[in-house]
Amino acid sequence: MKSLRRFFTRLFNSGARREREERLREEIAEHIALQTAENLRAGLSPIEARRQAMLKFGGVEAMKQDYRAERGFLFIENLLGDLRNAGRTIGRMPGLAAVIVVSLAIGIGVNTTIFSWIQMILLQPMPAVSGAANFLMVEPRAETGGYPGASWLEYRDLQTQVPALRDVVASQMVPFNVGETGQTERTHGQLVSGNYFSALGLKPAIGRFIRPDEAERPGTEPVIVISYDYWQTRFRGAPEAVGQKLRVNERDLIVIGVAPRDFQGTMIPLKFELWAPATMAPALLGGIRDLEDRSIRAFSLIGMLKPGATREEAQAEFSGAMAQLARDYPEASAGIGGEILPFWSAPRGPQRMLISGLAILQGVMLLLLLAVCGNTANLMLARGSTRRREMAVRVALGAGRWRIVSLVLSENMLLAVLGASLGAVIAVWGTTALRVAPMIGAFPILFPTRVDEFTLAFAMLLGAACGLIFSAAPAVHLAQLDVQDGLRSSSNTPPRSRARKVLMGVEVGLAMVVLIAAALFLESFRSARQTDPRFRPEGVLLAAYDLSGRNPDETSERKFATHLLERLRSLPDVEAAAIATNVPLDLHGIPARPFTVQGRVRTEAGQDRAISNTVTPGYFKVMAIPLLEGNDFAEMGDKAAPAQAIVNEEFVRRYLNDADAIGRRIQARAGSFAIIGVARNSVYGAFGEPSQPAVYFSYRDLPAIQGEIHLRTRSGNETALTSEARAVLRDLDPMLPLYDVRTFSQHIERNLYLRRIPARMFVVLGPLLLGLAAIGIYAVVSYAVARRTREIGVRLAFGATSGRVVLQIIRENLGAIAWGTAIGWVLALVISVRVMAKGAVNLPVFLGVPAILLGVATLACWIPARRASRIDPMAALRHE
Amino acid sequence: MKQKTDVLQGTLALMVLKTLHVLGPLHGYGIARRIEQISGDLLAVNQGTLYPVLLKLEQEGAIASEWGASQNNRRARFYRLTREGRKQLQVETQDWEKTAAIIARFFDAKAEDLS
Repeated sequence: MKSLRRFFTRLFNSGARREREERLREEIAEHIALQTAENLRAGLSPIEARRQAMLKFGGVEAMKQDYRAERGFLFIENLLGDLRNAGRTIGRMPGLAAVIVVSLAIGIGVNTTIFSWIQMILLQPMPAVSGAANFLMVEPRAETGGYPGASWLEYRDLQTQVPALRDVVASQMVPFNVGETGQTERTHGQLVSGNYFSALGLKPAIGRFIRPDEAERPGTEPVIVISYDYWQTRFRGAPEAVGQKLRVNERDLIVIGVAPRDFQGTMIPLKFELWAPATMAPALLGGIRDLEDRSIRAFSLIGMLKPGATREEAQAEFSGAMAQLARDYPEASAGIGGEILPFWSAPRGPQRMLISGLAILQGVMLLLLLAVCGNTANLMLARGSTRRREMAVRVALGAGRWRIVSLVLSENMLLAVLGASLGAVIAVWGTTALRVAPMIGAFPILFPTRVDEFTLAFAMLLGAACGLIFSAAPAVHLAQLDVQDGLRSSSNTPPRSRARKVLMGVEVGLAMVVLIAAALFLESFRSARQTDPRFRPEGVLLAAYDLSGRNPDETSERKFATHLLERLRSLPDVEAAAIATNVPLDLHGIPARPFTVQGRVRTEAGQDRAISNTVTPGYFKVMAIPLLEGNDFAEMGDKAAPAQAIVNEEFVRRYLNDADAIGRRIQARAGSFAIIGVARNSVYGAFGEPSQPAVYFSYRDLPAIQGEIHLRTRSGNETALTSEARAVLRDLDPMLPLYDVRTFSQHIERNLYLRRIPARMFVVLGPLLLGLAAIGIYAVVSYAVARRTREIGVRLAFGATSGRVVLQIIRENLGAIAWGTAIGWVLALVISVRVMAKGAVNLPVFLGVPAILLGVATLACWIPARRASRIDPMAALRHE
Repeated sequence: MKQKTDVLQGTLALMVLKTLHVLGPLHGYGIARRIEQISGDLLAVNQGTLYPVLLKLEQEGAIASEWGASQNNRRARFYRLTREGRKQLQVETQDWEKTAAIIARFFDAKAEDLS
């Protein structure tokens, strides 16, 4: 109790120092005055009386030190003192401090932003769900390598047959057309198992969630849960929303509850608005047979390990269960095993792709931060040498080595913390800016990244680490200071320092690596935008329709497409129209399917695969892809022609050794097709990809439930077609919305969205880093030159030309820079060869970047060197 | 070194408390005088060491201080015992007496007593 009280008083006193100091001074004065008076009374002379009094009192300074130690905690006081001092020091060099803080802030901000993405994917993959990272994907896996998903009956079996997992949850993504006939709106939702919300540990914002018994028997309960956002926008957040009817796919469903804020479903980053019991599937999707048919694998499963269970156990049980199912139901489950995957590597969704990209990006950005640290260390070191005298005085007055180090450390730490705080602000801004993602391919996407305590801690940790890194050199340097030497020499003649040159080299090397990475990335991004896709996207409008709610059969799908095309082609402004199942350059990619082709015997194991797209006749005309051989597909209404396929050049080259393709047969999963034409290669997945083999099937043979309408306009203004296309579709089916309407150019922009973010980062950071490197070099050379003013004066006096002097200074400093550049260059080359799949070294980048860097470095050396060479030799000799 | 000051501070603290208990509120010089008078040379030199002890006691809450006027009419800091200080004095006096008794007995003991 007593010691606690003393502790807090001391803690408090550590702050309020001046007042107490004053009080003690007064008390001492009073004490000595009283003692002097006493001594006077005893008959001493005034002077002797005072002397005796002082002697009796004892050493004032030592006592004061004891008193201070008693009053507060010395180390806190020292720290506060150091911080005050650091504040003053920084205040005296606002320009330098600003450069340091801002460059650190940008480095830390960028790193923190990227970290928030990685964090989101690895640690917090589902907003509003705590412990979401612990969920595992329970994925059936086909022998051929795909993840086909699970059927409903399979899910029911697995629920009991994998005891290491608890709460296995099934969900299926479904499009919903919400609203009354004629004004429906397309919304995305999930059909879910009865334990969905309880397994995720969610509490409804209002109302209740789906009960397990509501997802037992087909078509029992017409209930639906809505998202928080949907509740806010459609029901204005009114509590009466619960109990109201919502017309979904022409069925009335009763809203029973609202999901918690931020919850967006279990397929990140897709954002769902509605959740209905899985057993409503037949009612909502026109009698679909999902619930009875084991071969319809529409559900994806996630589950969490039981306490004490391991992933290996779960994997073994799951594999066993799948093997049993394959024996019991060979027609639906033969050749399908199972794999338990961490949530972040879900086969559907971009997480897996993002995480590797983000890891590289984070690595590059950490290098950038390291370069910033090197720069800061250099600036501090250069500054530190002008403070040798100050430090020598401190040491002479009794400051220990540790006090000197802590003084330097506190200055740098203050800068680092300022940088980190500003960096956190940048990260908050950056993360929010990046959250606003566009709709990608008809699905609303929301990356639930945010800056939370984890990310803030990361920023601060980075800041502290940076502070330590760039404190080390100056601190060691100053702590080793020889007092005698420091006091004697003037601030203008700091000793030679190898550390600065080494640091300069390291910094330039790091800058080299980062700049090459940035340049390579930008180069690929730029070439991506300029590459000819080998089809003509200009003037094409894209729009999608989906017959899911109708549960149509092949005949009705074909009929619908035929009517739709007829109507669209009759529009005056439409030059050509077609429907396809896939659009090139889609963010999700185009599926590659296995096949066998007549005349080819595969020697290796596995299967031949080709990009496959199903298109209507007229597609090649819309896309402006020329047919090199053969003809377009038979008309939609043609019942006589056999099943047809068109392949591309690469297909012929790779699988048929350039032999004649026309007339050969392709055997695919969907049947047997005759090749009737060869189309030119074009871009399918991404700009800059190597040529890929592709097979086009005819919509006539393989009609699909969904379709992407492609319209080529006559006038060149494709957006003008939007309303006419909508009207056509409404005429055909008033309940069917036309969605995801966009021009082909917009579609391509979307595809580049994920690449654009790092591209923007590099555009800003590249020049910044170059600037920082220049500042660092400039500072080092300036100080080095200032140190040698006298020497330069002697040289000039003996007749050296200023040109020679400049040349010599540049040569000396460029040595270290060249070393750094060379090492960085080799490092970048090694990384680029290992990371870039194609392995082709981008020569312009690998020659251009060093040229620019060396140019800037030379300039940064030249400016101070030239200034030094212009001094009057006499003034230089008199210098000091 | 540290040990020695601790012992000194401990005894000094007890003396300060006792002094204030007997004489009532006093300023630093008064306390020093009183202790000097009674203890002889303990505070004959280094009277200053008293002040850290006073501060420690004050921070523990055993004594309180306020400004007042000294006999020659100058501003002086007067210290007085708080209720807590009184309690502390009582406890420490007992402790001290107990310790002193034990030590005394210990020193009195002769070799034959221990055999």
